[in-house]
Amino acid sequence: MEIVFIAAAIILGCGALATGIGFALLGGKLLESSARQPEMAPSLQTKTFIMAGLLDAVPMIGVGIAMYLIFVVAG
Amino acid sequence: MTRIKKAIIQLPLIKWLVIEMAALVIFSLLWSLESRLAGYSAFVGGLIFVIPNVYFAHRMYRYQGARHAHLMVGSMFRAEGVKLALTAVGFAAVFILMEPVHVPALLFTFAVMVVLSGVLHFLIQPKRQL
Repeated sequence: MEIVFIAAAIILGCGALATGIGFALLGGKLLESSARQPEMAPSLQTKTFIMAGLLDAVPMIGVGIAMYLIFVVAG
Repeated sequence: MTRIKKAIIQLPLIKWLVIEMAALVIFSLLWSLESRLAGYSAFVGGLIFVIPNVYFAHRMYRYQGARHAHLMVGSMFRAEGVKLALTAVGFAAVFILMEPVHVPALLFTFAVMVVLSGVLHFLIQPKRQL
């Protein structure tokens, strides 16, 4: 039964790590681009929002599967 | 100040939300052909995605303009963290509180809504901001 919790922990941890790295890159590029061309900032923000939605798609599904493992399979 | 308000209005966030909710209702009706519990579970699974996503969009556009770029990025990080936490809490609450739950309908509708949201954001581009 402990293996299920370990699996859920790995899914959540890897998902959080990947999302953190992705958002750090995305936010860094947004700051860099806004500093270089301030007039493009609203447009860049919208593009960042769209990319953020795509970036966290897989970790979101991972969260759902991890919660299923914890509360249904192990519970 | 007027420029910020104008930029917020031009984003099709309401349009995205309406299309997502319409798709959610259609998927729930399709699942309810199997059983009433499956339709209900599918609707809840979609809501688990839509509610944190609305919060994320609201927080993401709290600050605008190059002058507030650092606040914008900070707000984006916090919004993403809260979005993931809300999703986890939503799933945990459903699995604990909703005793008979149709798990395939719940997870399938959630996954479909995640993919649909990404596709929608690409298909419905925002209007040019002046």
